[in-house]
Amino acid sequence: MKRIEARLKEEAKRLLENGEVEVVLAYGRGYDGRHPMPYAAKTVTDTERIVFNEYCTHNMARYLMDYPPGTRIAIAVKGCDSRAVVVLLQEEKIERGDLVILGIPAAGMKDPKTDQPIDASTTCDTPNPVLYDILLGGEVTASETSSYEVLSELEGMDGKDRWAFWSGELSRCIRCYACRKACPMCYCDPCFVDQAEPHWADKSPSLESNLMFHLTRFYHLAGRCVDCGECSRACPMEIPLYLFHKKVAKECEEMFDQAAGMSVDDKPVMVDFRVEDADEILL
Amino acid sequence: MLKKIGLEKTDELVTALMGKGEVFAPVADGTVVNFQKIQNPNNVTLDFYNTVQSPKSVFFPQTDDMVRYRLIHDGVETEEISLDFEPQIILGVRPCDVRSFDVMDRLFSGGGIVDPYWENRRKNTTIIGYAFDSVDPADFYATFGVGAADPTGSDIFMVKGKDILFLKGITERGEALLGSIDPLEDASAKDDQYFEKRLAEASALTTRILGTDGAAQKLESVFEDPYWVGAAAPCLNCGVCTFVCPTCHCFDIQDETLFGGGARRRIWDSCMFTDFTLHTSGHNPRMNKSQRLRQRINHKFSYYVTNFDVISCVGCGRCIRSCPVHIDIVAVVEGAMALP
Repeated sequence: MKRIEARLKEEAKRLLENGEVEVVLAYGRGYDGRHPMPYAAKTVTDTERIVFNEYCTHNMARYLMDYPPGTRIAIAVKGCDSRAVVVLLQEEKIERGDLVILGIPAAGMKDPKTDQPIDASTTCDTPNPVLYDILLGGEVTASETSSYEVLSELEGMDGKDRWAFWSGELSRCIRCYACRKACPMCYCDPCFVDQAEPHWADKSPSLESNLMFHLTRFYHLAGRCVDCGECSRACPMEIPLYLFHKKVAKECEEMFDQAAGMSVDDKPVMVDFRVEDADEILL
Repeated sequence: MLKKIGLEKTDELVTALMGKGEVFAPVADGTVVNFQKIQNPNNVTLDFYNTVQSPKSVFFPQTDDMVRYRLIHDGVETEEISLDFEPQIILGVRPCDVRSFDVMDRLFSGGGIVDPYWENRRKNTTIIGYAFDSVDPADFYATFGVGAADPTGSDIFMVKGKDILFLKGITERGEALLGSIDPLEDASAKDDQYFEKRLAEASALTTRILGTDGAAQKLESVFEDPYWVGAAAPCLNCGVCTFVCPTCHCFDIQDETLFGGGARRRIWDSCMFTDFTLHTSGHNPRMNKSQRLRQRINHKFSYYVTNFDVISCVGCGRCIRSCPVHIDIVAVVEGAMALP
């Protein structure tokens, strides 16, 4: 990781020095080593603050749309982050020509809250970036474990138990919207839940309004969620949102033979139609 | 008076307290510990660093009904909400959070318009404070003169020994409650010494200190500084910081109706949300996240000081620990204070 940090600093410095980009989206020092922060370096001096370690979990693709179109941006991406960049390209939210993608093959990432490893057993089974201009380290071996294995417990439950599980989890939501805001794919402005007319969901947290918010969000992310897990790490109430997203992702992959954000040439499954598409979705 | 009870008998203590009023205490739900109204005394945990959310919801719930109504064929039937609240007891409040009640009193009941929802609950509530026994690197409550084992503001103050919980009466109300709880035993002279020793140990714990001298004026003078754009760059504009904060108090009022019946409710709002300042016209005076982050900092460290003569932050560290991108409010304020 030290090697990646050095390479990241080096490339950031070079790109800013040459004027190839105006900003480098990477990671900077936080209040201690375990809490690095998303960081936008704009000058050569800024690049001194860049860090990379196992706690740099943030998906920097979240910040791409903070900049006006035409801004030349270098972005540091791990595997899932690169998939988020791909989805944003597919959805024409950003221009490939504006980007210099600095790929980071990442194994051994950890959740700063729990110190638990982040790997295919929870979220993210794509350790190597799927799209990059410069790769900052040697590719790492992907885990043999399918990232869908974590679903087996939920899939083994009957409807009643699954309902009990999700109503228990979602009733804890305090509607701080950290999940939505940490998500690189949640860019709607305004988000449906913030609209007053029509009034889709109450502002008070209750199981009913929480379900309205989360279920709608889950479905808005069908075929788009890249399994980076940022929503779940952002949640102060530790609701395992990733499990729902993963279930939907699995069904999309089974039906349409395509995982989100793996190739710029793919069309997102929910906007594409092929005659041979599965029709289970139509009931 | 000093009383004691074995830690393994915490549930007996809670049961006895439940006979005196509604009890709010820390409950673990998975790995998340928060204050909850206690139904089952076995759910209470005293083994936590600090709760994810502050205890402000005991006086200022996230959602508070102000009037309930039902639409009928020729008008509206309304039901008033009683403002006579049951006696309440909050058990296990850390010293910095106890201080937050005083900070919020100045707004809700300090003069001028008195908020009956806050005031009536507050005066009916007995506070059982709880000494810290470790320090998280995010905390900075020493900034505000709060000690890790500071009983100021508590009615009863608790210190955890190895396997014994000591409870000391601080106010008259606390003494009265303490004297009426049967499962508690009187402490011996030896216990007294041990309690003082634990108190001294806990008092020696110290946190980071944020230099706040002249912050109110300084922050006003750097209002237009481009510093805020950089400081807010990592901010996601979610509302976690405000929803875990013990002193954030902004709220919205909404009518929430379902099938012709509903309530006018006071609901927590957040200055971090884009629509917080959105006008009906479509104009938004705080369009950018840098303006919103600056607002949160300035409200706490400048405007509140101007209005109520106290910084509305207690250094509990919650916003730092819960921030998905680890924004450190100490670093943000220090950065602003260091501007030329």
